[in-house]
Amino acid sequence: MHSLTPLASIAVPDPRPPQDYTARCFDHEVAFHGLKRLLGAADFSKAGDRHAGLAAESETVRETARKILSGLTLQHLYDNPLTDDDGQVDSVMRVNYDIDREALSSVASMTVGELKDHLLRARGAEVARIGRGLTGVMAAALAKLCDVHDLILIARKISRPSKARTLLGTPGTLSSRLQPNHPTDDLRGVTLLCYWGLSLGSGDALIGMNPAIDTVENVSAVLRQLDKVRRHTGAPTQICVLSHIKTQLACLERGAPVEVMFQSLAGTENTNLREFDISIDVLDKGYRTMAERGPLHGVARQFMYFETGQGSEFTYGRHNGIDMTTTEALTYGLARRYDPFMVNNVTGFIGPETHLDSFEMILANLQDQFMGKLLGLPMGMAPCYTRHSNITLEGQQMATELLASAGANYYMDVSLNTDRMLAYFDTSAHDNQSLREVCGRLPAPEFLEWGLERGIFTRDETGAVVRGPHWGDPRQFCESEAEFQELLSATPAAYGFDTAGPRPSNAVTREMRLHQGVGREAIHAELDVERLRRTAPFRLIETAAATKDAHLGSPDLGSRLSAASREMLTPETAEVQVLVSDGLSAEAVHHNIPDLVPALLDGLEGRRKRPGVPLLARYGRVKLAERIAERLDASVVIHLIGERPGGDAQASRSLSAYLLYRLSHPAAQREAALFSGNASAAFEYTVISNIYAQGLPPAEAAAVIVEKVGQILEHKAAGNRLEALLK
Amino acid sequence: MPDEVTLIGLDFGTTTSSAVVASARLTRSAATGRRDLTEVHERYRSDMVFTPLDENGRLDESRVAALLDGWLAAGAVDSAQVFGGGALLTGMTAQRENAAAIVRLVRERLGDALIATADDPRLESWLAFMGSCATLSRNHPRQPILNLDIGGGTTNFALGRDGQVQRTGCFYIGARHVRVVPGTYEIAALTKYAEAVLQYLKIDREVGDVLAPGEVDAMIDHSLALLEAAATGATQTFEHPVAQQHVQVPFVLAPSESDAAITFSGGVGELIYASIDGHPWPATTQFGDLGIDLARRIVESKVFAPHIRRLQPDSAGRATVYGLLRHTTEISGSTLFLPDSKILPLADLPIFGSWYRDSTEADLTSLIDLVRHSPRGGCVQVRLGTSDAAALRQFGTRLADALDQAAFPTDLPLVLLVRENLGKILGSYVTRWGALPLNLIVVDEVAERDAQFVQIGTPHSQVVPVSFYGLNEPGDARCTH
Repeated sequence: MHSLTPLASIAVPDPRPPQDYTARCFDHEVAFHGLKRLLGAADFSKAGDRHAGLAAESETVRETARKILSGLTLQHLYDNPLTDDDGQVDSVMRVNYDIDREALSSVASMTVGELKDHLLRARGAEVARIGRGLTGVMAAALAKLCDVHDLILIARKISRPSKARTLLGTPGTLSSRLQPNHPTDDLRGVTLLCYWGLSLGSGDALIGMNPAIDTVENVSAVLRQLDKVRRHTGAPTQICVLSHIKTQLACLERGAPVEVMFQSLAGTENTNLREFDISIDVLDKGYRTMAERGPLHGVARQFMYFETGQGSEFTYGRHNGIDMTTTEALTYGLARRYDPFMVNNVTGFIGPETHLDSFEMILANLQDQFMGKLLGLPMGMAPCYTRHSNITLEGQQMATELLASAGANYYMDVSLNTDRMLAYFDTSAHDNQSLREVCGRLPAPEFLEWGLERGIFTRDETGAVVRGPHWGDPRQFCESEAEFQELLSATPAAYGFDTAGPRPSNAVTREMRLHQGVGREAIHAELDVERLRRTAPFRLIETAAATKDAHLGSPDLGSRLSAASREMLTPETAEVQVLVSDGLSAEAVHHNIPDLVPALLDGLEGRRKRPGVPLLARYGRVKLAERIAERLDASVVIHLIGERPGGDAQASRSLSAYLLYRLSHPAAQREAALFSGNASAAFEYTVISNIYAQGLPPAEAAAVIVEKVGQILEHKAAGNRLEALLK
Repeated sequence: MPDEVTLIGLDFGTTTSSAVVASARLTRSAATGRRDLTEVHERYRSDMVFTPLDENGRLDESRVAALLDGWLAAGAVDSAQVFGGGALLTGMTAQRENAAAIVRLVRERLGDALIATADDPRLESWLAFMGSCATLSRNHPRQPILNLDIGGGTTNFALGRDGQVQRTGCFYIGARHVRVVPGTYEIAALTKYAEAVLQYLKIDREVGDVLAPGEVDAMIDHSLALLEAAATGATQTFEHPVAQQHVQVPFVLAPSESDAAITFSGGVGELIYASIDGHPWPATTQFGDLGIDLARRIVESKVFAPHIRRLQPDSAGRATVYGLLRHTTEISGSTLFLPDSKILPLADLPIFGSWYRDSTEADLTSLIDLVRHSPRGGCVQVRLGTSDAAALRQFGTRLADALDQAAFPTDLPLVLLVRENLGKILGSYVTRWGALPLNLIVVDEVAERDAQFVQIGTPHSQVVPVSFYGLNEPGDARCTH
């Protein structure tokens, strides 16, 4: 265990007022007020920075910013810590200053541009040494001056191995984290996804699952199952359930095998504290507990695992005016404190509001890997996307080829690229093996030995490691065909196990891509207002999003009414209003509303809840219901909205019902504030999800909604508070 | 987190009785949100014990009570956790007074969670198939499978496809019609069926005599011939009066089913598969009957031998008790129409028939009339074949009108069972969204079964256990259209 420097002992210069950075660009002067704006403008243009008003408005401005940044010394960056919205140095920034000061002093007088050149000229050991002396802001500044070749060349010089049961990140290796996520944490499905991934030679970094239900009981049960899978297969690896660090500490307390401790991190204290519910103290406690009492105590050199990603600080509105690349680098500066076993980012996970297309996602990933490795982290990568961005599978695959060249320690293994719980798309075991073959990489040595013994890998006549006879056969870990079939029955989106070389066979790929295509189409389809009006007498309203692109790129617009609609809607007597909007799937609306709304209106009438004339909004988001409740003076708004499509075609037609309760009664507001800890709580929500033919059929959903609305009005509460009252 | 529940299977036969206790989870399906019983894990299996019957065939209640208490304690059963399962009473234990006593003793300990069924040969055949072949059959969905569950007194036939039983039958052919002194062929007891066969074969033997080797062969040959005939559709064999006497429930194999794969379960089935797995045969008449001899002849049979290595069922020896454990109890959907859960459990509710989307007013009225004259209320299966909202509204409104017109008693339980996930919406339309006072329950996502009775248990994690018994053969059901 390495010692954790007390925060108070980390020296950070006092913040200074923002200074203006100016430069002449041919015939005119370009100025940036403060380092934050300069750093923002110097980056490639990315959606999140554009929305935050930080991206340069033109290439000329960007290049001017880069020129100014190139001329600043490392000492200048050291002397000007970026501050939070109150002008203070937050705890994340402070931890970033916990650096190898000797290493910094050797380069402090260099400009950022000179340092970039030095890193390109230097050998790996020198690059690695200097990296330990840099803060996140310095690494971000360097990244902004690098093109694609620079980012790859410097990153690939650095080797950041880490060791638990397996040794990751040594030159010539490429590992993977097996991610057997399941929509309901069904242990049968989880087990099959583990068997499948292991049979494909994945999982040497970790078998790590994101739980759908973050309770101590559930997380412990999943941990025990993963432990069982590990023992049953004999695979040399480690396990983790990626729940909140506090949940994992409680699991460890109860004796569950928390072999590696996970936490999501962000690059500002505000995001960590208010959104992720973590502080430096909590992270320190997690680290110390694992060092002293973790099951791999004495075996593993490292045991912490962090996940990060550009843009989370911005989407929560807690980025302190700092651009996405820099907050990401600050996150790495925080992660470095705990000498982690694994770090990976999931840049691309959030959506088009942070990274609009493949280009933005690929560049961001290359920057992240460069910064992480430079700062001293064992970086794995998870270039990924959601259906509502313009990122495609091909774009993501290009990212993996480039990142592998740059020396990623590991990738994710999400079976057939489709995360069954988080409705996003990541790398697969097939991708990992393809990249190993393209780049001449092998799994971690301990895992390779196991794979050779099992025939998952073998050696060809030249002694080279190649896929073995049992590669890709998950049945090898099942005791019977019946067991395999039972596991399979609980595994969604398993389109087949046939392979062609390291790839899924064409038939499997076609099935998967067709399902994904349906999902993409559902997002980009436009709401068919006339068709819907034939099912109920809808009145049409507009949101502030004028186009589909604006709607997908800026979630906030779909949460607000247009000026005309605001004008049109005035207080009504109806206690309950019904609102339908496309959200992220117009197809979900088209497929469910014809059976749902007529039955819903029957039910509300039948139960004497007399709703207003139903409303229909194009380009709506969940919180639009709040504006409707306020304008129409309604107590309850039933908001039927299309959900973000995942990988399965049927589930792409899934609708949710958000039942909003407006806390207009002072007593209810007091109770809600007390229950939630949010003194200004104005609304509560009950959500009924999974409404589609193969899930909760729309007609049945209507009756469920009517019953729930009755309970909300009777108890003057919704959400968890209502459920607590009903118990 | 999936909820843990307990399942129990109790098997009371003429000779032996046993219990199995299992833990299972109520897991929500990923794709549909439906709950299902998963990870069924046997946590206690009792020894086979002799059923405490006196020489007159009367049950010794205090010894049965002690047996039950011992099993429940050894299986660490908390009665509140028991979700379902069953108790199967066969032979002497199924006789009226004995059955009543066992049912009472079980209910005193476990409430209505368990369904007790007596002398229900079609259910036993169904259970044996489900207990041994359900997974196998689902894994070979196009292959018809005929399972022969050969026990002490009867052989239960069940033909199924894709995990669904299509036809059942039962014959008085089993290991213990001739009981012998273990290690010898000295006759210890004979059933009336064995006596008839001895007479037919002109073998003059009685209790205390020793059967000669040729005589044993002749007895076994006779049993084997009947089993082969039934399994190959040779119905003319059963025209003979002695053969006829062995038929409890006829089983007829259609010519199109001649390619059925044959599997075996029950005690004799277990011996068959143990032998082909390389285990030596037990010593001569070790169990005091002719079961080992019958198993040996089946393994050598030209009809059966090719099938034995083809498809092998699970848990052959305990197929029925596994079937009881795993398949007696079905799980409803989680959005059922149940305004007042306090009326559950409902035991022994007669199923009066089925309604369809196009049932006439007369069809609706005639079943309503049957239910209203049943003191316990009743159940009707609703087979709509659609979840279209307009069709539901139309059917629900028509049924509401019919119930209203019939002045259906407001407190009499009326249970509707539907296959689709639409319990709450159908119930809402039938009660006119609460305006029509009825004691109505709509249980959804339950496959239709041609049974005479149903039992609805108490809710657990928003679902209820549903158990059927008194199975009819398809076509027997008193359905109205």
